[in-house]
Amino acid sequence: MNGFANLDGCGKFRDLSPGSLKPRTIHRLIVGRDTAVKQLSRAEAAKQLGDPFATLLLLKGTFPNTAGDILAALDRATKPGDPLRERFFFFVGEATQIPTSERVARDVRFLVTTGRTGFGPEDGPDLMINVFHPESEDAELMAWDRRAGGFNYYRTAIGSNGWIFAGNSRHALEPDSEFKGPFESHASGNLLMKELKLPWVHWHSFSAPVTAANLPGDLRKHPWVAKKDPSGAATCEIEVAIPSVKRWTKRRFERLLGKDGIVERPERVMRQVLRTDTVNLHSSETAADAIEASGRVTLPPTFFVDADTLNGVLGLRPPPFLTVPSKIYLKTLKTFDVRRTDGQGFDRPGDTHFCFIVPERALEDVETIREAIRVGLFGERFAASLLMVDFANPVFSPRREKLLEHAPTSAKITGGRSGFAAAMVKRILAAAESSPDNSPEREFAKRWQAGAKWRSEFSRVLESYYTGLEKTMRTQTGFDGVFRVAETRRRDVADRTPLVESPLLFATANIPPTKRMRMRFDGTAAAV
Amino acid sequence: MAVLARFDTPAALRDVASAAKRRHWSTRLSADFGRLVGEFRQLYDPTQSDTPQDAQVVPVEWAASPNKLRQTHPDPVDRWRVADSLRSEQDEYCEWAVEKTGGKITRITFSTEVPEYYAFLAQHAPDRLLALYHQLVSPNVALKELVVGGAYQPINRWNPRKPSHGRIVHLSQENNTLGAALALAAAATVQRERNGVPVTTKEALAACSGLGDPFRNSDPQIASVINGAASTGASITLQDPLGLYIDRLVTSGMTTPDGADPAAFWTVERGRPGQVVRASFAVPEQRGYTVGDIKIAGRPIRFGAQVADRVRVRLVAVVKPGSARPRRSPCLG
Repeated sequence: MNGFANLDGCGKFRDLSPGSLKPRTIHRLIVGRDTAVKQLSRAEAAKQLGDPFATLLLLKGTFPNTAGDILAALDRATKPGDPLRERFFFFVGEATQIPTSERVARDVRFLVTTGRTGFGPEDGPDLMINVFHPESEDAELMAWDRRAGGFNYYRTAIGSNGWIFAGNSRHALEPDSEFKGPFESHASGNLLMKELKLPWVHWHSFSAPVTAANLPGDLRKHPWVAKKDPSGAATCEIEVAIPSVKRWTKRRFERLLGKDGIVERPERVMRQVLRTDTVNLHSSETAADAIEASGRVTLPPTFFVDADTLNGVLGLRPPPFLTVPSKIYLKTLKTFDVRRTDGQGFDRPGDTHFCFIVPERALEDVETIREAIRVGLFGERFAASLLMVDFANPVFSPRREKLLEHAPTSAKITGGRSGFAAAMVKRILAAAESSPDNSPEREFAKRWQAGAKWRSEFSRVLESYYTGLEKTMRTQTGFDGVFRVAETRRRDVADRTPLVESPLLFATANIPPTKRMRMRFDGTAAAV
Repeated sequence: MAVLARFDTPAALRDVASAAKRRHWSTRLSADFGRLVGEFRQLYDPTQSDTPQDAQVVPVEWAASPNKLRQTHPDPVDRWRVADSLRSEQDEYCEWAVEKTGGKITRITFSTEVPEYYAFLAQHAPDRLLALYHQLVSPNVALKELVVGGAYQPINRWNPRKPSHGRIVHLSQENNTLGAALALAAAATVQRERNGVPVTTKEALAACSGLGDPFRNSDPQIASVINGAASTGASITLQDPLGLYIDRLVTSGMTTPDGADPAAFWTVERGRPGQVVRASFAVPEQRGYTVGDIKIAGRPIRFGAQVADRVRVRLVAVVKPGSARPRRSPCLG
């Protein structure tokens, strides 16, 4: 979710001066499409915006200043029993598990959701507000457009109750506006809850409860803190993030197929299969404080392989439960001088609260693959053959990304079938002929040759990799290499995505950035 | 709020009609508080001390499935199988049992009822105890199987550790008692330090204060929340009626063969809104399918623990602002 804050990542929003918006007015700035902030007439706004924030508030002349005002206004605009009166309050903060005796920046970000939830239909909430403080005038909001589908992205600016419509989810997928404005971090127009899975590092949850004492002084008694969902991120994952991502992805593919089965920009779908534009973050379930007591440190399986897709979508062999002895992990932390620092004076040795945070394939990309298969854009064997290329490096793989060159730019689905995959296979196989021995195209060709036995063959390959990994985890040298790979990928998150908003998101290590490492199919790490 | 006249029974259950008899339950809890308040200065007995209006109600919530099994059984199917097989594994203050027909699950029953309450019934309302067993498990239960030599047997043929008949009565795992939760809350008010550094995170606190398995969901979290509140100088108690409660079943991501809302299949059997102590998950017969046909995140329900992953359990603490100056004590052991 907190990638949402990167609406600011675009200079056009950052440059908005306080009071630059006309009060009580809807503006529009879809970066890449609009050259400047423009005011929308009521008629223009009514035509473009079909979400409840617009229809119940803005279009009726209600312009709330703060997140708290939005909730109060929704209460006034709805009748008792309306789902828009059902609220969830969540918060996340990278310093929330650091002892209160430490001086550290303790900023938190709130996510407030309202509207439909998992209690009813499968769609998740209609409205999500992201804000650093309940009374801040710097609020960002996503609201499901009940007419057009997709989330409408809004933000306000300090000193004004005017609002900017910054685009709809569909704009994340259009050439002029993709990866710009809010879609820099919401790469395919989805809600992003970065730390999506248990133990939801940095979030309040039953894995790591955040007490009032660990919050900034002015928030300790705030009603939003008192009303926080007691299960925190556990609820957010199941009732907000997953349904929201499924909701838009499903709607996106419905739209995609809307015109006689002609798929617009199929290469944009393939980009989510083969390239890493965004990630989720997963971590060990072992807390840094408990490394010694645990005896072993658990490692997130999706670091080693794209288990969510290869196993969860395609039914290939899942990875084993990988752990590393605590003694080895602790020595690695010392070897690489692993530290947490906030860049403002807080600097302590040790790992993040839950150890070994690493990127994994983003849920929105997993769901995109699932939907593409469901609608018949391509089949399971094709998806598996692509993803088995450099499978030991499930994110930021230049080898898989290279295959994107061969994606056709047109596709048509008829009766749940498409010639898209066959065309792409043909192109890759043709390119393989003239490519070097170790080219990604040749690797794909080898996978594709598995034919009808692809599932058993790929599972066998994975099994061999898993055996190698188990061996690697038994030695200090082996795990030190794995840790270096993790550090390479964390740096890729920082360098290639806008997701690092706090220096405390990851711990630091003394590994030079030039020492890039990757995993090999034998389960060991090697220099790139 | 003011001084509480007496402790109510869990979820204000009225199994015992006589108010005079119910006072014995309050007396029992007062005795427990009495022992603990003497030792832990920041714990208070709400029947002895005022709870002011500005006291904060702090719910602590966790998943019913045993978190410690994640450490030993990483494969979810293994974990679910082990969690279902023995109630001694179900150590998050919520236990369950599964009924099957033809190998498919037809009903899962969850309980957070504490054994102390049934011991109280055995002592003060044995007829009601027997009637409850008849209602919850089987009409064949005999009182002599429950009370032996005048003492209630919390583990008995009808409430066994190894669930065989698919219905249970109350908690049976050794750590799943109200007394254990109260003692934990009391001990968690003590601030701890290791080498001069405050110990605050839940795993570290559990280990430092000797508060049991640091990998459980429930106890370390209860300890952490209470410890954090006590660090501000506040006094702590548990909200009346004291109990462990089933908060809800999270149904998002569950799919039924006919598109019905799975939340409709969740039946509260005992308790009241916000204070449920027994609930079951079963599909009405007329629908033509069973729990085993429902999927969670795409997987058919084959284990009770799959549903337990989505059952939320809660305990509610009350934090009374105060001016205690807590001193930090070194870790135990």
